[in-house]
Amino acid sequence: MTVTSAPTIQRNGLLARLHGRAGRGWLVVPTIAFLLAVLILPLILIGFYSVNLMTNLIGVPTEFSLRYWEDFLPPGSNPFWDRFQTSMVITLLVSVAAVIAAYPIAYYLSFVARRRRYTLLLLILAPFFTSYLLRVIAWKVILANNGVINSALWQLGLRDHGDGVTWLIYSWFSVALVLFYTWVPFVALPIYVVLENMDTRLLEAAQDLGAGRLKTFLRVTLPLSLPGVIAAFVFVLIPTTGEFIAPLLVGGPQSYMFGNTIQGFFSDSPNWNYGAVLAVWLIAIVLVLVLLFGRFLSTDLRESKAPA
Amino acid sequence: MQPMDRRKFLLSAAAVGGGVLLGGCGSGGGSSSSAGSPKKTHPPIGQEPGTMNILEWQGYEANGTEAQTYGMLAGKDYTGKFGPDGLKYTYIVNDTQAVNKARSVQFDLMHPCIENLQDYVNDGLVQPWDTNLLPSFKNLNPTLTKKGQIDGKQYFIPWDWGYASILYRTDKVAPEDATGWELFWNEKYKGRIAMWDGAQSNFEVAALYLGFPEMDNLTPDQVDQAKEALITQKPLNKFYWKSEYSDMQPAFKAGDIWISYSWQDAYVNMKAAGLEVEFMDPSQGKLGWTCGFMLGATTKNYRHAHQYVESFINHASCVDMVNLFYYGSADATVLASDVKDKDLATKLNIGDPTALSGPNVNLQSWMPNENDVALAWEEVHAA
Repeated sequence: MTVTSAPTIQRNGLLARLHGRAGRGWLVVPTIAFLLAVLILPLILIGFYSVNLMTNLIGVPTEFSLRYWEDFLPPGSNPFWDRFQTSMVITLLVSVAAVIAAYPIAYYLSFVARRRRYTLLLLILAPFFTSYLLRVIAWKVILANNGVINSALWQLGLRDHGDGVTWLIYSWFSVALVLFYTWVPFVALPIYVVLENMDTRLLEAAQDLGAGRLKTFLRVTLPLSLPGVIAAFVFVLIPTTGEFIAPLLVGGPQSYMFGNTIQGFFSDSPNWNYGAVLAVWLIAIVLVLVLLFGRFLSTDLRESKAPA
Repeated sequence: MQPMDRRKFLLSAAAVGGGVLLGGCGSGGGSSSSAGSPKKTHPPIGQEPGTMNILEWQGYEANGTEAQTYGMLAGKDYTGKFGPDGLKYTYIVNDTQAVNKARSVQFDLMHPCIENLQDYVNDGLVQPWDTNLLPSFKNLNPTLTKKGQIDGKQYFIPWDWGYASILYRTDKVAPEDATGWELFWNEKYKGRIAMWDGAQSNFEVAALYLGFPEMDNLTPDQVDQAKEALITQKPLNKFYWKSEYSDMQPAFKAGDIWISYSWQDAYVNMKAAGLEVEFMDPSQGKLGWTCGFMLGATTKNYRHAHQYVESFINHASCVDMVNLFYYGSADATVLASDVKDKDLATKLNIGDPTALSGPNVNLQSWMPNENDVALAWEEVHAA
C-alpha cells in the first residue's frame, strides 16, 4: 500500500532516477508482456467485438458497425441503459453506506483498541479466509423463507408460522446487504492506514488550542483522513459496478445489476457483440472513476508529514 | 433436454482439462461415413488415440469415471474395454452456451438437445454417424431418430427425452388456477413463482400463453409481444432459476416458491421429499424435449465415439437411466413394465413411443431467429 521508493527518488535526484531506469528497466519487461497478453489484448478484442469487427453471430458479416452502440447509448431508450443507471445508484448507495459503517471501525482500531488492534484486525479479516461464494450462500441460509431470521420471527410469535418476510431475499435489499457486508472490512483498511499514519501531535495541538473532541474530529481527524475515505469509497465503487455474483445468488428478477446483463450476453445469449458494447462502456466508466479519484488512492501520508 | 446441468450449475462451470485443441471450427459435415464404407476412410480402432473430449450434461458421465457419482450404468461397456482415463468431460450449462463452447473447442462427442441440431450442422461442428456401427440403433424410436436426420444423414442419436411443465404445490395453488401456462401470469401468486433463466424456453412458454401457432418460429411482431408478456410477468417471479439442483429445488423445498418451470425429475424429487406437488398438464400442452449424441466433425476417434455411444444406447443402460432419473429413453424396447415406480411411468408416459408426438406436447425445435429471441430475453432481464 505504501510506496517507499518515492521519497528516495526525490532525494537522489534526476540522474539517479535515469540511471535506475536504464539499468533495471528490463525487469518490467515480463510484467508488461504478461499484461499485454492477458489484459490489453483481450480488451482490444472486446473492443473489436463492440464495433462488429469480430462477431460470434453466425450469418452476420464482420464489418465496422456502431449499431449496438447507437442502440445502447442515449437518447435512445433501452432497458440496458436503465439497468446501468439503477446499478450505479445501488453501487453508490452501497459504497457510501460501507464507508460510513467502516469509519468507526477504523477509528476504533487506530485510536482506541491499542494493543488489541492486531487481534481485532485479524478478526475483521477472518471472513476472507473463506470463499466469497460461500459467504454469499451463507446469507441465503439467513435470509431464506425458512431461514434464520424468519424462523426467529416465527418462534417469537411475531409472524404466523410459514409466513416469512418476503423482501428479505431475492430483492434489492438482499443484494445491497450482501454487497455492504462483503465490502465493509475492505473499506475499513484504507481508512485505518490513513488514521494510523496521522501525526497525532496535530490532535494534541488542537486540544491545546481549545478544541473539544468533536471539533478536533471534525476539523483535524476527518479532513486528514479524507484521502483514505475517498480511497475506501473507490475500493468499493469500482469492483461493485461490475458485480454479478451476489445478484445472481440472492437477487430477484428485479434486482439484477449491470454485471449480470453483461454476463448474460456472454454466457446465456450468443450475442457477444452487444455484450462487448456494455463491457467496454463499463470499462470506460471505471477508467473515468480511476482518473477522477486516482490521486486519492495513495494512502501514504509520509511525504506530506515529513519535512523535506 | 437439459437434465443434468441443473445439477449443481455453479459447480459445473468447469472447463475441459488439458489436451483440448483450440482453434477454428472444422470444415465439418464432409464425411462420407453414413453412406459409404467407413472402413475405407477411418483407420481401425487400434490406431485411434482413444482420448475423447466430450461435451456432456453433468451426471451423465460414463460409468467407471470418477465423475459418475450416481451409479449410472451407461458407458460401462466402453470403460470396461478402454478404461476411463481417456475420457474428458466439459459440462453443458445451457443449450446456447453449449453451442458457443462447441464453436471454440473441438469436441469428439457432444450431447446437446434436438432444438440446436441445426446450429451444430450449419456451423460444421458435427458429422453424420454410421448407424451400422451402432448395433442398438435399431431399437431406437424411429420418430425420434427421424428428427435427428438432416438431408437424410443421421447427425443425432437420440438418447433421453422428457417434458417441461409447471411444477406447483397443490396445497397452495387453487385447482381452478392450475389450468395452463397462464399460472405464471397469475398476480395472486406474486413472489411465489420461478421461471427458468432460459431464453428459448421462456419465449416458447410466452408463445403458448399468447396462443401463437408456432412457438419456435415467431415473427418479429410475435417476439415483441412475447417479450412484453414476459416483462409483465417478471415482477411475479421470486427469481429466475439458473440451476435446478442448487436454486430451484432448495427454494421449492424451503417454501420460497410454490410454482416453477420444471423438468420431471424435480417433480419426482419434490414428491419424494413429501411435498404435495403436481406436474401440470397445461391446456396449451407441455413442452417436450429430446437430447442425443453428436459426433465431432474433426474427431480422430471415430470408432471410439461409436463404441462409446453404443454403450449408452444399449437396452440395459437405457432401462437403468429411466429408473435413475425418470426421464424417457429413446430406446423403444424400454417398456413401462421396466420402470420400478409404475405410477410415475404412467404419469410420465415412460415406455410410450408416441409420447412426444401426442397432441398435448409441444416438442421444442430449432428457432431460426434465436439471436433475436436471445437479445429480447436480455431485454426482459434488464427491464
